[in-house]
Amino acid sequence: SSAAAASFDLRSYWTGLISEIEAELEAAIPVRYPEWIYEAMRHAVLSGGAKRASPVMCVAACELLGAPRAAAFPTAAALEMAHAASLVHDDLPCMDAAPLRRGRPSTPALFGVSTAVLAGDALFPLGFAHVIARTPPALVPRPALLRVLAEIARAVGSTGMAAGQFLDLSGAAAGGEAEVLLVLEKKFGEMAECSAVCGGLLGGADEDDAAALRRYGRAVGVLYQLVDDVLMEDEEGVGSNGRSPGKMRSNASAVRALGIDRALEIVEELKDKAKSELRRFDDKCGERVLPLYSFVDYAVHRGFLVAGAGAGAGGNEV
Amino acid sequence: AGAAAAAVEGGREFDFKGYMVARAAAVNRALDAAVPVAYPERVHEAMRYSLLGGGKRVRPVLCLAACELVGGREPLALPPACAVEMIHTMSLIHDDLPCMDDDDLRRGQPTCHVVYGEPLAVLAGDALLALAFRHLADPSSYPSDDLHPPAPRLLRAVAELARCIGAEGLVAGQAVDLESTGLADPVSLDRLEYIHLHKTASLLEASVVLGAIVGGGSDDQVERLRRYARCIGLLFQVVDDILDVTKSSQELGKTAGKDLASDKSTYPKLLGLDKSRQFAEQLLCDAKDQIAAFDPAKAAPLLHLANYIAYRQK
Repeated sequence: SSAAAASFDLRSYWTGLISEIEAELEAAIPVRYPEWIYEAMRHAVLSGGAKRASPVMCVAACELLGAPRAAAFPTAAALEMAHAASLVHDDLPCMDAAPLRRGRPSTPALFGVSTAVLAGDALFPLGFAHVIARTPPALVPRPALLRVLAEIARAVGSTGMAAGQFLDLSGAAAGGEAEVLLVLEKKFGEMAECSAVCGGLLGGADEDDAAALRRYGRAVGVLYQLVDDVLMEDEEGVGSNGRSPGKMRSNASAVRALGIDRALEIVEELKDKAKSELRRFDDKCGERVLPLYSFVDYAVHRGFLVAGAGAGAGGNEV
Repeated sequence: AGAAAAAVEGGREFDFKGYMVARAAAVNRALDAAVPVAYPERVHEAMRYSLLGGGKRVRPVLCLAACELVGGREPLALPPACAVEMIHTMSLIHDDLPCMDDDDLRRGQPTCHVVYGEPLAVLAGDALLALAFRHLADPSSYPSDDLHPPAPRLLRAVAELARCIGAEGLVAGQAVDLESTGLADPVSLDRLEYIHLHKTASLLEASVVLGAIVGGGSDDQVERLRRYARCIGLLFQVVDDILDVTKSSQELGKTAGKDLASDKSTYPKLLGLDKSRQFAEQLLCDAKDQIAAFDPAKAAPLLHLANYIAYRQK
């Protein structure tokens, strides 16, 4: 199915999904009193330039199992809100102190530090409320929805993305191969894993399918970021000190820590790993598995630029 | 006088202190088990430092009491009880940050960012927020299969918690409070009430409502308890303001008259002391009205919690 994957038009699939995801997010975050908090939340999520990789992965995994994409949109939006919440806090002066995010002023830079802290704190529960209020009960059994919520909470929590940010801040990314890969897994693999497994659960995956999607998602998340690092090494002068916002905090990139040869080896391993997890779906899901194969190829080759509404400076950030 | 009035109310004996101590101990054990020291240890240590460092556990006890009041078994309410305490702790950690209220001490101990640094304090707060939802939503947090609440009930509880702590609830209160400090004009009574109803009452509301939902309470029971919580949330703040004017620093265990000296708006400043006391009486009365329809024996904990908030001397 590699040949079929090559002919699959990922660009149309992705950009088509993005407009639906943007609409879902737009409706999910209204502006009420106190307006400045809602405006900050909207800026963090809707200011443009985001690839919506997590929501797209979630919808694709749901469709893989033959369920309508409507089952996945509310969760797709919640994943993006949880992701945005963690980025807003990452950009705080006491963390990465990033003035820019996706080429635009970061939320703390534009709205002030205290509003940014609160906007992050509010985005996370809003995502949960959105999933529960908007997921059509006829499409998703309630126990599956509970599992989805627990998955999202686990992914961003103390053993997931929060752990990744802590390990990065404490310099683990400058360590040996195991440490570098662990930071990549926590910072980037967790969210992709969560997106894939949530999509699967929403689509009615059994335990084995869900476990395969979990491993697939994790491999793709790390793969995407590692290739980003390889590309950044090739292109001098991108970002400051060769580092773009949202990447490793330590100036030494993953690639520099691993060495370019080893990094390329790992890229191949992750690519094979991700694709091998999809084999089980080849026969029973037919063409519906193509988007997931094409994400793997896209992560490696980057045949086109993806960016959400109002985007311009998308960069390589997921 | 307050304590005596509470003890004889309804002509029943109720060991309020014993009740609080026993429930707080159960909650502390559950919290301890809910946050094991996993890798990376430092993140979990920071979470545990703030979560297990003391506090009266009023919110979790409200949750347990509401569950029992509607006929649910108490252990059923331990996960939501832990969740509301995790959220409370998260909001204190973030509130104490230098960019927010900038407090170095909380309950007599150095605050999380003083001990662990600002980045870890932000992350520990975020992680507690996530853990609260995970703990509440995951059926495996509950005692056993025959005891865990059905999925629709848990989803309803998650939705309530999300609403009460987000930009419609707790965060709204914190945001408007921050915006109102240092203003030239004192804030209006409406705005003061808005701040307290969101910053304080919202999480008390979540506490009792979650307990009632997992305990299988009817819609009517849930709404009564919601109104009860909003009354005692506001009551807590009115009494706090009154004590600041009427008690000495020694009696309070903290600096008295602080509100008067600062620009902070309080009920005594806006209403006068007498009217503030009348307002407190009215809120206590309204709170008790909401639980009057329940079995008096089962309502005793919530009744005494309201009295405790109204008649505390510090």
